[in-house]
Amino acid sequence: MTRILLRNKLDDCIAAWQKAGFSVLAPVKRHEMSSFGEVQKSGDMALDLILTERTIKDQFFPQTEPLIKYKIGKQQIDSETMTPPEKKRVFFGVRPCDASGLAIDDPLFGWDYKDDYWFRRRDNSVIVTIACAQADDFCMCTSVKLSPDSAKGADVLLRPLLEGSGWQIEVFTERGKALLEIVSSLLLEGNGHTFPLPQVPEKFDLEKVMAWLGDKENFESQFWKDIALRCVGCGSCTFLCPTCHCFDIQDEGDTYQGIRRKNWDSCSFALFTMHTSGHNPRNTQSTRWRQRIMHKFNYYRGKFGVNSCSGCGRCTRQCPVDMGITETLQAITNLPR
Amino acid sequence: MIYSPFPMRVVSKRQEAPGVNTLKLEFVKQEDHEFFKANYRTGMFGLYGVFGEGESTFCVASPETRKDYIECTFRQSGRVTSTLANTDAGDIVTFRGPYGNRFPIEQFEGKNLLFIAGGIALPPTRSVIWSCLDQREKYKNVTIVYGARTVADLVYKNELDDWKQRDDVRLVLTVDPGGETPDWQDHVGFVPTVLEQAAPSPENTIAVLCGPPIMIKFTLAALERLGFTAENVYTTLENRMKCGVGKCGRCNVGSVYICKEGPVFTAAEVQAMPQADL
Amino acid sequence: MGIQEQYRSEAAALLSSGEVKLVIGFGAGSTADRRRPLFARTPEEAEKFVLDAACIANLSTYLVAEGLLSDGKKVGVFLKPDGIRSVNILISEAQLKPEQVVILGYAIENGKDVVPLEGCNISDFSIGEKIRSHTPPTHVIEAAEKIEAMSAEERFEFWKEEFAKCIKCYACRQVCPMCYCRRCIVDVNQPQWVSTSSHTLGNFEWNLVRAFHLAGRCAACGACDRACPVNIPLRLVNYRMGKEVRSAFDYVAGENSDQKPVLASFKQDDPETFIL
Repeated sequence: MTRILLRNKLDDCIAAWQKAGFSVLAPVKRHEMSSFGEVQKSGDMALDLILTERTIKDQFFPQTEPLIKYKIGKQQIDSETMTPPEKKRVFFGVRPCDASGLAIDDPLFGWDYKDDYWFRRRDNSVIVTIACAQADDFCMCTSVKLSPDSAKGADVLLRPLLEGSGWQIEVFTERGKALLEIVSSLLLEGNGHTFPLPQVPEKFDLEKVMAWLGDKENFESQFWKDIALRCVGCGSCTFLCPTCHCFDIQDEGDTYQGIRRKNWDSCSFALFTMHTSGHNPRNTQSTRWRQRIMHKFNYYRGKFGVNSCSGCGRCTRQCPVDMGITETLQAITNLPR
Repeated sequence: MIYSPFPMRVVSKRQEAPGVNTLKLEFVKQEDHEFFKANYRTGMFGLYGVFGEGESTFCVASPETRKDYIECTFRQSGRVTSTLANTDAGDIVTFRGPYGNRFPIEQFEGKNLLFIAGGIALPPTRSVIWSCLDQREKYKNVTIVYGARTVADLVYKNELDDWKQRDDVRLVLTVDPGGETPDWQDHVGFVPTVLEQAAPSPENTIAVLCGPPIMIKFTLAALERLGFTAENVYTTLENRMKCGVGKCGRCNVGSVYICKEGPVFTAAEVQAMPQADL
Repeated sequence: MGIQEQYRSEAAALLSSGEVKLVIGFGAGSTADRRRPLFARTPEEAEKFVLDAACIANLSTYLVAEGLLSDGKKVGVFLKPDGIRSVNILISEAQLKPEQVVILGYAIENGKDVVPLEGCNISDFSIGEKIRSHTPPTHVIEAAEKIEAMSAEERFEFWKEEFAKCIKCYACRQVCPMCYCRRCIVDVNQPQWVSTSSHTLGNFEWNLVRAFHLAGRCAACGACDRACPVNIPLRLVNYRMGKEVRSAFDYVAGENSDQKPVLASFKQDDPETFIL
């Protein structure tokens, strides 16, 4: 017997979680943009979106994060380490690809040196994923061996009921169990008919792609120059990616005080790797696009055993020149063997 | 917390060459110093910073046998290095590290050592040189080949004199053609050429090679002609870095994160990297 | 022969005669309603060009790509009136040589009909009515008027909310043909004029810097607006700046290539209303 969360109990759940000290965040649409934001009631949520335009990553790795506050005096410099808020958070209505993105980035932020800014937020968050009921032309989770109901990165997975009245619950972690404990009196016991998962066709042959990328002969292939020709070198694919994690560290302030910040940065930008001497190891857009693809489907896998892509398709969805991971990996798939 | 640097006091500043300075830094806090002493090994690097300007990556130029202080030598070129170059004794700067891997000098014991450096790349080499010279009895013949563009560009001039005086070190100094002064007594020529003329034996010898990419390329070829194998040649790579701890994503050459798996590599390891990414 | 076939064969002819080394046009995109920039170097590749009402991007931005025209050879490019205005501005700012650009001009009428624009050299287009007409779509004018009707506080609040969304991906800059600086002011760090952080202040700085740098130079193609992944209505900013320039100097950017850049030239009868 599984349990069911009825849509009309969602407001009570939110209230109960809030009472237990959680902030509740969910997909919201504000000022013509969808993202994850704090909600007070179910009516604030935009749960019918296929996917928010901004990723959930933003809530764990914000676009600008204060690290250290400093004061520059005549005789001394005072500095104070700044830490992220420790508030407990429930993320309700996360899509499986976004939740997977968090799980994909965990080993990167954790290897050897632990990034406290990421993990303090991770440790205080509970991820409630809702399986997809619809997909669009850009979704490609199945191509990267995930699915519209993937539980990767999820503490709780909800499957929408056919009649739209609520969700069937699956729990995966202790954290998820504890979250549901808070609202146990609001849940029903029972089985409902769940919405069929959308058909997301596989768009490329991942095995073939990884083999081709792994062949050193292909690193300097003309392929990269041709495929990246129209790339304009903006950072939108990286900034809207649920797994891209590159950043810059910058001091910002006046002569007397300021803040050292960790800011998003992008491998698409020429400045990203440029030495002070002017030498730039990745000095063309094609080498930068190659880096992005290689990093996601070769280097990252070598380090952490997983590809750095969860198939959300945002890179293609919002690219001003209609590029993206899908096109490149399709083109590799279609290369003559 | 990660990314939080140690405050460091500038003990002294020495100009090495036009635009090149060495800072001697001491730890402000005892616990930071203890951490450094427990972790620093030759070849590792750090991020040197000034609040308000940022951080810049370079090696620790002092040896692992002298851990009371940190020395760093850098060319004044960007925003951070320009500010560091304008510090005075007593000023507070920051250090984050030591990060990265190291030269496995205990594996060098009982062997001949050949150090080759070009220009501003003597500092990382110097850290290994002194780490070995401070335990001189553990190593056999020590040869240092050092070249710069001009006589003025040679760094650590006092130490070069010192090495020249020692009879347990063979020092081969050179400057590029046209870079010599009228009273220059040493070689004139590029490092690879001078190295081949000096013809150190590859027998039981470890080479440590640091320099600009173009010098590395030609010197490796010269070493190969002398009979050195790529496994016995060590070098350090430098790339732009921001975090120093394998997260910020910019320093990799192919799949290799310079900050974590480097900066010290054998020539064989460097040759296995995608050359177009260097 | 439809316009698509006509332009394909024109492009193929330009390539096979060797007159141009490259034609930049549109190809099929990743979905039925998308078009993507396509670079053809051979007549065969020109067969892949698509020309229909979905070809709305301003391809002139590729003309200032680093190294593209440095060999002195000619390039063909599919351009709508806004793209032609962009080329005019680039020529007037000495970023392009007119003789290096062969234009395959077209216009989209009523949002659906693609009609050819006569001519192929930039000088052919300098006075054409289709180039002069500078009316942005109705929804842009309406949105702009709505903002103009606001009080200063409301307006500030509106833009604060909009700019708060900015993530500094610089897509607006990268797709803009007028943003050709090899090192943008925000990428200069000695001194650091503009903070790199993407917080409200930093986002204001960036978007205002860009607005001012585009005043009197914007071709009103809307590329920035379409490229913005967080849906900031950027063209409203540029529309307003264009309106200011028009009322102060009776100047519309990109009408012809002989125009002097309005904010980089001085006339004795220039209004001095900005001097308090």
